[in-house]
Amino acid sequence: MSRVDRASAPGPAALRRSSGARVSMLQAIRSAGSRTVPHPGPHPAPSLDASWATFAGVLAGVGGEPCGPVTRAELSAAALGWARDRAAGGRIVAEPSAAVLLEAAADVEIADASAAPTSFADVAVAIVRGELGVAECGAVAVLGRDAPQRALLFLAERVLLLLPAIRLVADLHRAFSALPADALAHHHLTWISGPSKTADIEQTLVFGAHGPRALAVLGFSEDDDPAASRDADR
Amino acid sequence: MTLALDARARTTLPDAASRARHDTAVWQLREKRDAAVGAVPDFEALRTRAAAIKDHALDHLGELLERFEARARAAGAVVHWAPDARALCEIVTSLLRERAVTSVVKSKSMLTEECGLNPWLEAHGFDVVDTDLGERIVQLGKEPPSHLIIPAIHRTRGEIGALFHREIGTPAGESDPERLMAAARRDLRARFLAAQAGISGANFAVAESGSLVLVTNEGNADLGTALPPIHIACLGIEKVIPSLDDAAVFLRLLARSATGQPISAYTTVLTGPHRGGELHIVLVDNGRSRLLAHPERRRVLRCIRCGACLNTCPVYRQAGGHAYRTPVVGPIGAVLAPAIGLPSEDSRTLPYASSLCGSCTAVCPVRIDLHEQLLAWRRDAPALPRGLAWGARVVAALMERPRAWRITTRLVRVAWPLLGVVSRWGGPAAAWRSARELPEHPGASFRERWRQRAARQDVA
Repeated sequence: MSRVDRASAPGPAALRRSSGARVSMLQAIRSAGSRTVPHPGPHPAPSLDASWATFAGVLAGVGGEPCGPVTRAELSAAALGWARDRAAGGRIVAEPSAAVLLEAAADVEIADASAAPTSFADVAVAIVRGELGVAECGAVAVLGRDAPQRALLFLAERVLLLLPAIRLVADLHRAFSALPADALAHHHLTWISGPSKTADIEQTLVFGAHGPRALAVLGFSEDDDPAASRDADR
Repeated sequence: MTLALDARARTTLPDAASRARHDTAVWQLREKRDAAVGAVPDFEALRTRAAAIKDHALDHLGELLERFEARARAAGAVVHWAPDARALCEIVTSLLRERAVTSVVKSKSMLTEECGLNPWLEAHGFDVVDTDLGERIVQLGKEPPSHLIIPAIHRTRGEIGALFHREIGTPAGESDPERLMAAARRDLRARFLAAQAGISGANFAVAESGSLVLVTNEGNADLGTALPPIHIACLGIEKVIPSLDDAAVFLRLLARSATGQPISAYTTVLTGPHRGGELHIVLVDNGRSRLLAHPERRRVLRCIRCGACLNTCPVYRQAGGHAYRTPVVGPIGAVLAPAIGLPSEDSRTLPYASSLCGSCTAVCPVRIDLHEQLLAWRRDAPALPRGLAWGARVVAALMERPRAWRITTRLVRVAWPLLGVVSRWGGPAAAWRSARELPEHPGASFRERWRQRAARQDVA
């Protein structure tokens, strides 16, 4: 039972000290558990509504801005229009996952995955692809694969998420099951429900606490253009 | 003879107006919770499931922690083990020193409050900035948080405005929450960008993937862990759950129970460090394995720190968090503090600062039997002030002797009007009477009235 800490790299002093701590902690923890209490199994969630209307209503309720859904053909103009209106000449940066859905534009930068995260401190609008929306809580999953610059999601003044409108589920249980198998393989999986907010001063709700002051989710359908749809599902 | 909490409540929320304001603010959270919970048809079933998952996880904690460690390492994280608060502080200090870090941004973590990490780091020369707005307010005000979710709930906008004027240069008299937030945002944004390391807690640790789940509304934990090259996450061993599917159960309960939101603005699942960065995870025991070994008390380790029990507690609402003088306050704090062996000499009297109304138990998303836990502490570790303990012994002795009881109660009945006057003169009785009226005496004992009633029925 007292398996010795198999530190792969020669650790600093604190690490070596903690290997004895590990053994004694695990011993105490093990002797306290009986390992007889079963796991209750998955939660049988009732079937709730997973429509765009419900999702949009909840999203608006948490301070987010539901847009669309638009067709695949309309997506680029709608997204760039939203971004330009709000950026007012400021930096618009799209993650590559979102940029492939948009027409190339001189005023839209494509985020460099190898740039320092702090280099996005002055971004006005970030455009990122969303993977999945959850109707009951208005949250959208953003995969690390689609947003390698995690800081961009939080440094930008405003964030626009592009979400395939059919990628909606009713609740979080279904959401976790519907994620792609490699959802955790790219450092982060971030659920975003509305803009950054706080109510720490006398329970007054203020948007833009540290992160984005606005968050929009632009839904789009992929079915009107099979080629584009394949591209979007890449 | 007054409980320590009672005495402190008179200084932390000194007057009726401040108590009423606190009560209203906190109760609003309870009302929002009720509205949110009412909209979820399977909420009660979720509570039951969450409790069962936690009981399973606590019972298999050793293997879950090992699995978590193995998967987290495979993803590139370094896992450290800290048996107590001192070990946590030392591990963090040496990690920072070895990397020549001096400036640290921190997001909310009740564990680091419990372990005194901030004062330790400050004493060792590090610049530590709390980034949750509420935490920043209490940090600038040099006071502890008074609520699990809203750390500065005891402060008015005027007080926060004055504090910000003094500390971060907002205009004198500015008390608009939006402008105060904007000023804090500017100040903290610069600190986020300059920080060399970020320290966070974790709401959950997922064993199957070695992931951490961080939940915030402000996004401060994300900025604090995505920008600096080093992320140190500090968490209690009880945070480990088996799978991401289990996380869904807790996430549906957490924000609804805390603030009435369907989910917090940001729920981030982190697996391994960011590109070019380091992730260190410190697993902290600090009394938890002792709790785990106790068949009844282990249930408090189900706690997900939502604060629902505070918001509904009549004692917390009137006393305020500072009266507890423990890192975790309210009913859950009253049962955690003595269990974790906090040095505070009067933490053992906290279980007495409760009306045992059971409202905390009724709202707890993981169904901790909080009022039973409070009662069990009174039974197992009696810490009544001497006067009350003596009084309880006298009453118990009388109740065992029917004749003595009858005589005493008759004397009390005769002296009743006099008691009303005498009890105002001073001492502990006067403190009790300051907010209470003696009830009117019915004039006869229960036994007498029962006999009269039986006699009347005989006549009829």
